[in-house]
Amino acid sequence: MIDFRSDERAKLSGATRYVADLQLDGMLVGGVVRSPHPHARIVRIDTSRALAIPGVRAVLTGADVPQVVFGPTAVKDWNILARERAIMIGDEIVAIAATDRRALAAALAAIEVEYEPLPAIFDPELAMREDAPAIHPGTERNRPLHVKVERGDVDAALAGAHLVVSRRYTTNRIYQGYLEPNAVIARWDDGGLTLFAPSHIPTRARETYAAAFELPLEQVRIVVPPIGGSFGGKYVLKIHLIAAALARAAAAPVKIVQDRTDDMEAAHPRVPIVTEIRIGVDAEGNFVGKDVVVYADAGSRVYWSPNVVQTACTRPDNLYDFGAVRAEGHLVYTNQSPTTCMRGFGNAEALFAVENVIDEIAEQLGIDPAELRRKNVVRPGETTIHGWRISSCELDACISEVQRLSRWERRASLPRWRGMGIALANHVSGFRPIDPRFEGSNAVARIDADGNVEIETGEIDLGQGLPGAYAALAARVLGVETERVVVRSGDTGLMPYGIGTLASRATVIGGGAVVQACEALLALLAPYRDGDAPIARAAGAYGAANGGNRAEASARYTPDTEMPDKRGYGNASPNYPFAAHVAEVEVDPLTGKVRVVGYWAAHDSGTIVNPVGARSQVIGAIAQGIGWVLMEDLLVGGGRVANPSMMDYRLPGSDDVPPVEIAFVETPDPNGPFGAKSLSECAIDPVAAAVSNAIAHAIGVRGCDLPLTPERVWTLLASARSAAVPA
Amino acid sequence: MTDVVEVQVNGERVRWDGDPAAPLLDVLRETLALTGTKLGCGTGECGACSIVVDGVPQLACLLPVAAVAGRSVRTVEDLARTPEFAALREAMVVNGGTQCGFCTPGVMVALWSWLEAPDATERSAAEALKNNLCRCTGYRGILDAAEAARRALGR
Repeated sequence: MIDFRSDERAKLSGATRYVADLQLDGMLVGGVVRSPHPHARIVRIDTSRALAIPGVRAVLTGADVPQVVFGPTAVKDWNILARERAIMIGDEIVAIAATDRRALAAALAAIEVEYEPLPAIFDPELAMREDAPAIHPGTERNRPLHVKVERGDVDAALAGAHLVVSRRYTTNRIYQGYLEPNAVIARWDDGGLTLFAPSHIPTRARETYAAAFELPLEQVRIVVPPIGGSFGGKYVLKIHLIAAALARAAAAPVKIVQDRTDDMEAAHPRVPIVTEIRIGVDAEGNFVGKDVVVYADAGSRVYWSPNVVQTACTRPDNLYDFGAVRAEGHLVYTNQSPTTCMRGFGNAEALFAVENVIDEIAEQLGIDPAELRRKNVVRPGETTIHGWRISSCELDACISEVQRLSRWERRASLPRWRGMGIALANHVSGFRPIDPRFEGSNAVARIDADGNVEIETGEIDLGQGLPGAYAALAARVLGVETERVVVRSGDTGLMPYGIGTLASRATVIGGGAVVQACEALLALLAPYRDGDAPIARAAGAYGAANGGNRAEASARYTPDTEMPDKRGYGNASPNYPFAAHVAEVEVDPLTGKVRVVGYWAAHDSGTIVNPVGARSQVIGAIAQGIGWVLMEDLLVGGGRVANPSMMDYRLPGSDDVPPVEIAFVETPDPNGPFGAKSLSECAIDPVAAAVSNAIAHAIGVRGCDLPLTPERVWTLLASARSAAVPA
Repeated sequence: MTDVVEVQVNGERVRWDGDPAAPLLDVLRETLALTGTKLGCGTGECGACSIVVDGVPQLACLLPVAAVAGRSVRTVEDLARTPEFAALREAMVVNGGTQCGFCTPGVMVALWSWLEAPDATERSAAEALKNNLCRCTGYRGILDAAEAARRALGR
């Protein structure tokens, strides 16, 4: 079992062992032959030459693995290896396990596959047409999800508006860019399957994998080693299943470490989204209606994209009072690698569109964009149009703070080619529909006579600082030093049940369970405690009376939320964080290159549990946002990734991130542990919008398609210049 | 007939009689079990495999074993025993310089080399970090930590 000490020193010294660092006795290495065609019938597979290579222990095709159709969401469209058809470049056709990498490479090269190419489709809007090739026959219009939401009379509201701004915005295909490539170890024994797999929702992964192998849940155990970054990319993955299939066939543990090229060619990037948006206002700048149509590219199978589309359709409606709202969302299959979550999913993309339109409205009405926003934001005590109860909201203070930090009044008199942009954001702290069966968390708290505290949780650290946050919460309840608390997590066989880390739920929901378990421990020890004496002494007395030298208590925390009804109405999260960001940019008019020269962030995440970690999270999110808006794009042409390397897909480096000033407006929320709300996803939500608004302010033209590369910015400038020339 | 390559690794003599073109990174991680040096890309783009060869930071994924024959290689496991590393480590904790930790050993090696270089005061920490990618922290905490460590060590 993996011990997650709340101790960063092991990471800093290179002592932390990630899955690629683990060795099991007799372990084989695994690899995959992938389809070179975006859509093709598999005519013939010849494995004979590969099987003859010394050291090869298993060669599997789609015919050799369980024939179940399964998947991690309600849409079931997964297999372990392709059968009959390949539906994307990178689709897994043959899997091989061998004793060493050299034999594996030779065997992978010796596999012969004959394909008959079929018509493929890459554009979601074209894929919805009646004459498009069917990627999963039986799915009408290649559309596994169609969302429709309307509240109020949007047509009447927009018809009666003083001004309606209507635009089409597109967001790009962002690779999560975790530094640890995907990797896994699978092992079978009498008890079933054990996977050493960096997944931050291991309980859902376990259900999916049990279904794939038709095993009872108890026979699948997922041990989660330390995760070397994910940002949403490491949920439920086919290479976990492929390693499991190989390990069973070879009767030996199998490790697969994906190389970076594979990891990027068959990546599961942020869902690219097209947003057609209209927002109407009255003459005073009060929003009266919002209408969006969203087209989202699922890729060839459904990973976590349905949740992304639902979020993109509605979440900004809980940030502003739009009066009346309507959304239609289309999630569409294409012959490309499946897309999935990335930090701030759905909301960050939607806010890119919404916040740009709000700036256009501000320009046309002659209102300061910060003040136009302040006029329309949700307020504490309100229930939003989708039924969210806003228990705390310091957006007003966040806007004022970010104005003060950035010296917003400079905006009117910046030098030429400089611009400042503002954007707001909201988020959730856990989300009830993530699992309709249970959305709480369980924790165990233990203390021994020496004052050592252990916390066990079902939630997962992926580098976001869960151990530090839980140690701080436990220390606060028990009245011990944070350094005395060890946080253990990451084993579906040994740890209490948790949903895992997604929807920004770890601090508030997992942390809620930690606080309750510690409170239960205090209650258990109360009869053994002498006034305000240290709790450790009571633990000793309890141990003496009950056997052993320690005391233990557990708790289940269930947030006071509502499962949204069929129309998506209900208070889905215990509380809601908010943020206001300002970016300042400088544009080189000769090259179109944009440099972010200043960045300011004000956050309402309630009480900040771990200040050092919180600051690091916010800056990291801003860096990711800057990469997203200015430089990153997984370029796919004809289904093939054209830039599958970190050289050609450039992540922000140390000189791309400006100094960042941060203010936390710390008003405790009544529904979070010690008043805490979530933070790390909310911190990326406004970045693309803040930077793009700053660029539009600097150059006087608005780019609607991300990323705003030098070429795009230069083209925008050129088109503005030619438009300005009299005919 | 195979060539034998001799290398100093963390002060100990290592004889390698395998493929002289094997990446040094594989030998460190798989043969010597020095897994602190990470494989992030294998093509010299991310810096997670940074090591020190004869006092100079290098990328272990790009070096064939034969290229370090007769030379002295130091990995994060060895550097972690030095007082400079300890100062840097404490500064990283205080400044939020690590999150997931996967790039962190490489970052620490790059910054350790920067602190040890005679011109540390002339080159910025950002310059020393130009070959290292971090996806979590946004670098500012790392750069603050580097400056704090430099001051603490009186460099």
